[in-house]
Amino acid sequence: MCVKQIPDPAAPAALDPSTRNLVRDGKLIMDESDLYGVEMGLQLIDAAGGGEVTLVSMAPNGETNGLRNALAMGAAKAVLVSDPALAGSDALGTAKVLAAAIRRGPFDLVLAATESTDGYTGTMPVQLAELLGVPSVTFAKKVTVDGASLKVDRQTEAGYDEVACPLPAVVTVTAGVVEPRFPSFKGIMAAKSKPLETLSIADLGLDAASVGGAGAREEVVDVQQAEARQAGQLVTDEGDAHEKVIAFLEDLKLI
Amino acid sequence: MNFQESDEQLMLRNAVATIGQRYGHAYYAEKAREGEKTNELWAELGRAGYLGVNVPEAYGGGGMGITELAIVAEEVAAVGAPLLLMVVSPAICATLIAHFGSESQKERWLPGFATGELKMAFAITEPDAGSNSHHISTTATLDGDSYRLGGTKYYISGVDEAAAILVVARTGSDPDTGQARLSLLVVDRDSPGLTYQHIPVEIRAPEKQFTVFFDGVSVPAGNRIGSEGDGLRQVFFGLNPERILSAALASGIGRYALERASAYARERKVWSTPIGSHQGISHPLATAAIELECARLMAQKAAWRYDSGLDAGEAANMAKYAAGEAAIKALDQAIQTHGGNGMAIEYGLADMWGMARLLRIAPVSREMILNFVAQHTLGLPKSY
Repeated sequence: MCVKQIPDPAAPAALDPSTRNLVRDGKLIMDESDLYGVEMGLQLIDAAGGGEVTLVSMAPNGETNGLRNALAMGAAKAVLVSDPALAGSDALGTAKVLAAAIRRGPFDLVLAATESTDGYTGTMPVQLAELLGVPSVTFAKKVTVDGASLKVDRQTEAGYDEVACPLPAVVTVTAGVVEPRFPSFKGIMAAKSKPLETLSIADLGLDAASVGGAGAREEVVDVQQAEARQAGQLVTDEGDAHEKVIAFLEDLKLI
Repeated sequence: MNFQESDEQLMLRNAVATIGQRYGHAYYAEKAREGEKTNELWAELGRAGYLGVNVPEAYGGGGMGITELAIVAEEVAAVGAPLLLMVVSPAICATLIAHFGSESQKERWLPGFATGELKMAFAITEPDAGSNSHHISTTATLDGDSYRLGGTKYYISGVDEAAAILVVARTGSDPDTGQARLSLLVVDRDSPGLTYQHIPVEIRAPEKQFTVFFDGVSVPAGNRIGSEGDGLRQVFFGLNPERILSAALASGIGRYALERASAYARERKVWSTPIGSHQGISHPLATAAIELECARLMAQKAAWRYDSGLDAGEAANMAKYAAGEAAIKALDQAIQTHGGNGMAIEYGLADMWGMARLLRIAPVSREMILNFVAQHTLGLPKSY
């Protein structure tokens, strides 16, 4: 399971004025959208009656805070890639690093969130699949494993597609499709003693020029304030609010 | 010296807060209004092992201490759902049984505390013996291999939802002073001869208060915790966790009130600026925040001393005092900040008043704490 550790979304975000990248120097927490993939992974293991969830993450300053939470939920171990040379990574650079970390051992299924809550590119998982040379299925709302093949209900705008593909594969899990478990107290206490390996890019045999800011092919050239949303229409209920709401919806030809 | 909670403690805080927020004050208030219990919340916390964090691991618990139990109680209270029975069942009863119980007693009761499935009430207060435990008149007389228990206890929380009651009873008297020699007995709530009567109080809480009558209740001698006559020392061992947990509940209520108040004061505009920009609103809230944080620190110190095996009496009493005062002040100021809305059911503040006010009286009154501090901290003559 690919886990991203991000600045607390509840705190005001800051951009580095020179690179226009998000400042990630402070304490990082687990991206909430990853909770669904972790839960999905744990459920698949329960259903299979064996196996384990390994967390893979890339973060600055050896940050492990967010990984501890997923370990407390039940993941077996974690691999963190942390290296000063990775500062300024774009999505493809991140995919290269995670692919190198994942390739170190055998794997059946790689799970990720559909997109991160801080960067929102939503491109990393498919790049990762390409680099690993395995199929990718995005926006999963349900995943079942049947021997060496995978069945995925893939969320679409109209409903969902039923997709089958061979394993191993990369699957992105839509937020909200499973109810993430809370770490039990035993899980919290056990998380401390679970294996958590921190690797540098040299450990992964990656060339510093191919990743991080040096290898990035994306560049943030400009940042603009989002347009303020127009104020909505306020209806004061004087006993006839329902009529006004109906008229409003009729105007839009919604009813 | 280190004021940083461990990763595990922070994770516990977050996890409990997340569960608590799913229920929230509206859930708690509805249960109180409907005369129901917060069973779903209790069960969910129990399943995750949070209600048994202080129960030894050998009996299925978390193997940690009162520090962790106080974290759980504070975080649930901070969403506006203070679980009063946490003060009684895991803090007093589980602590006493884990510390003084025999091996078979531990095997019998501790696994239930570990999951929260066992709720045990605690009965010490009597109509004629409030804070003066030497005057306890509820008497247990050994007759063969069981005790006969007679007497009355009152203001006992949660009797209607407890499977058993840990009763402090007189099993003898000092021949010289007449003071009670006490013992602790676990009494099945449904024992023949045990009846209980609801005491209506102005506290909007799912947990109720009861008078409990023991009329020749037969209690197996094997239900006595520890040795006969050693009850007072045992009770004192359980009272510090009780005080620390009360401080945690009060701290949580104070946090809940201040969070509501500051959110309201940031948004609410009467003229051009949010009311929180007026010092008449902001300074009293800031004062309440300072006093609350000081109380929380004292409660953490008390819990740390207790878990470290140090004497925690002074710190636990001070924490209980400070948190009780800070909670009611925070809540009062939160209500004031809301103006008329402060009394509206929708804003979920005024209905917490009874519980916050109670924590200034129970489980030990402000005045008894001041007596304790005057005598033990300041070396002043005993006043009673």
